[in-house]
Amino acid sequence: MKYRVRIGDRMHDVVLEGDTAVIDGETLRVHLAEVPGSPIRMVTVGDAVHRVVARREAGRGTWRLSVDGWTVTAEALDERQRAILERQRASGPQGPAPLVAPMPGLVVRIHVAVGDAVVAGQGLVAMEAMKMENELKAAGAGTVRAILVEPGQAVEKGTVLVELA
Amino acid sequence: MFSRLLVANRGEIALRIIRACRELGVRSVAVYSEADARSPHVREADEAVCIGPPPSKDSYLLGDRLIEVARATGAEAVHPGYGFLSERAWFARAVRDAGLVWVGPPAEAIEAMGSKTAARQLAIGAGVPVVPGTTDGLRDAAEAAGIAERFGYPVLLKAAAGGGGKGMRVVRQPGELAAALAAARREAQNAFGDDSVYVEKYIEGPRHVEIQVLFDHHGTGLAIGERECSVQRRHQKMIEEAPSVAVSPELRRRMGETAVAAGRAAGYANAGTCEFLLDRDGRFYFLEMNTRIQVEHPVTECVTGLDLVQWQLRIAAGERLPFADGTVFEPRGWAIECRITAEDPANGFLPSTGRITHLHLPAGPGVRWDGGIEAGGEVTLFYDPMLAKLVVHAPTRPLAIARMHRALSELVIEGVETSREFHLRVMEHPDFRAGDISIQWLEQRLPELAAPPVPVRVEQLAAVAAALLAQRDRTAPAQRAGADASPAAGRAAPRDAAADAWRLAGRREGLRSS
Repeated sequence: MKYRVRIGDRMHDVVLEGDTAVIDGETLRVHLAEVPGSPIRMVTVGDAVHRVVARREAGRGTWRLSVDGWTVTAEALDERQRAILERQRASGPQGPAPLVAPMPGLVVRIHVAVGDAVVAGQGLVAMEAMKMENELKAAGAGTVRAILVEPGQAVEKGTVLVELA
Repeated sequence: MFSRLLVANRGEIALRIIRACRELGVRSVAVYSEADARSPHVREADEAVCIGPPPSKDSYLLGDRLIEVARATGAEAVHPGYGFLSERAWFARAVRDAGLVWVGPPAEAIEAMGSKTAARQLAIGAGVPVVPGTTDGLRDAAEAAGIAERFGYPVLLKAAAGGGGKGMRVVRQPGELAAALAAARREAQNAFGDDSVYVEKYIEGPRHVEIQVLFDHHGTGLAIGERECSVQRRHQKMIEEAPSVAVSPELRRRMGETAVAAGRAAGYANAGTCEFLLDRDGRFYFLEMNTRIQVEHPVTECVTGLDLVQWQLRIAAGERLPFADGTVFEPRGWAIECRITAEDPANGFLPSTGRITHLHLPAGPGVRWDGGIEAGGEVTLFYDPMLAKLVVHAPTRPLAIARMHRALSELVIEGVETSREFHLRVMEHPDFRAGDISIQWLEQRLPELAAPPVPVRVEQLAAVAAALLAQRDRTAPAQRAGADASPAAGRAAPRDAAADAWRLAGRREGLRSS
């Protein structure tokens, strides 16, 4: 079975056949074993054993993996699933991700207004949590479509604060 | 020794104090807020009393309530830990007035060191070097030149109303002074509406080096070595070590004598720390004195063999330090501490909350874990994001760095984002390995340390792992999905959806693309 695994901006092709894997053209023996009662997996590649901590994320085939002291988010889909997803993404409305509260806290200030053009990395909202003020930044460029909170409002983790178009 | 002691704190430091009590045969009384009812410090203490709702101001900061609990439980002494009320002179005084023993310096000493300006005056009076500077605004370039000549170049021009680097100029040569002063004045006027400018000596690439001191109530005062805490972010220490690469035995002796002199001037007793800036030429300048046990005390314990918290209790109980005045403690080996915080380095160190779903602690030779967390515990926004301190001790600095790297690699904390990988990157960094750091180092290197590019080899391995996990889902999706979902992982699925993570993932996907 061929999987197309997206990590960040890069795509890796992994072909699994029995206990061998072909990754980006290289053939290796691989094995996955679970450590019962824990999120820890043992992944054997050739003779090397790696401890992988795996957590399922929202999104089909998406995992957050801690591997050898690094954490990555990987989206592993087989060719058919990948093709479907890409068609969906192409036909679905495009737009930058909304700004979401990464933790529960208090909205202190909002730096933008509806209709403002913003650039990636621009601070949109200041939030206070754990006695510290944090600047929440736009992940990508866009235009502010809606502001869904106001200063002084307490919000839960995951609350959509600002929608971009 | 006391028979019973109240621990007026929470988390790892409460546990640290409780452990010292147990080893000394002292019964410990823990206090806790409603948010901490199931915390390790509550369970490990001999007695525990709930003191109020989760916010600190309604629980751990209620001095009167703490004293009331101490009296009601028959505690003879109060240990404040760090943070909360540990450096509040009024609380130290209230404890004393209630007929209880305060495990710390006298209220008067806390007061004397409490404000930076008062501490600076005290230090100057005791002959302790401080960063030379003026306290009145400069009249003109000629006056500035005279003062700069006295301090020696480089000097720093600083707006009186200052902040955020505005109105600041580093001047390296006399020829640059007049123009720099004019520019600083202009900037200060524009930014603050006030053009007064001070001058102080500019400390080039300074390190943060602090001296641990111990004073008993019988006149003995000892400096027991330095800690280097130059790896800082926004003035928050992240990594500490003992000894410091920048301190020779001779400098250690001089800094130690200076720290003891500062302590004596304040009428100090018990454990304390004098913080200094150390410049590249080995000149040091007093910053402030911390009148409590420090977060980073374990590294000193490792290299001196002294149990500082036990000595705090012994000193408070009236024991004598069994060392002569002026005893010099040569460090044995090298110790490093990493503060493991619930913060996400890849995301501007945003605090992270949630339930700790899995915890695997490092072990083996030379590894110490001072933590206040456990699996199943909740990390909330009520208190400090520091979860634990990972400390290692080894014969040399390179071995200590290797040991810390190994220990960090073993550590697994699932459920909240942590600073673990950030610390791994620091341990791998050539500057840190060479000991070539200053207090500005971390801020300058933050991008490459907090969110560095993932090595290709790791990415390929992750791709194989993800494909293998997808393969496993395909063979038994229903039961795998349930087994692998981590319900309370914070950002992941709500608990009730755990049994059907596939459907949930599908719904999320639908949500995301609409």
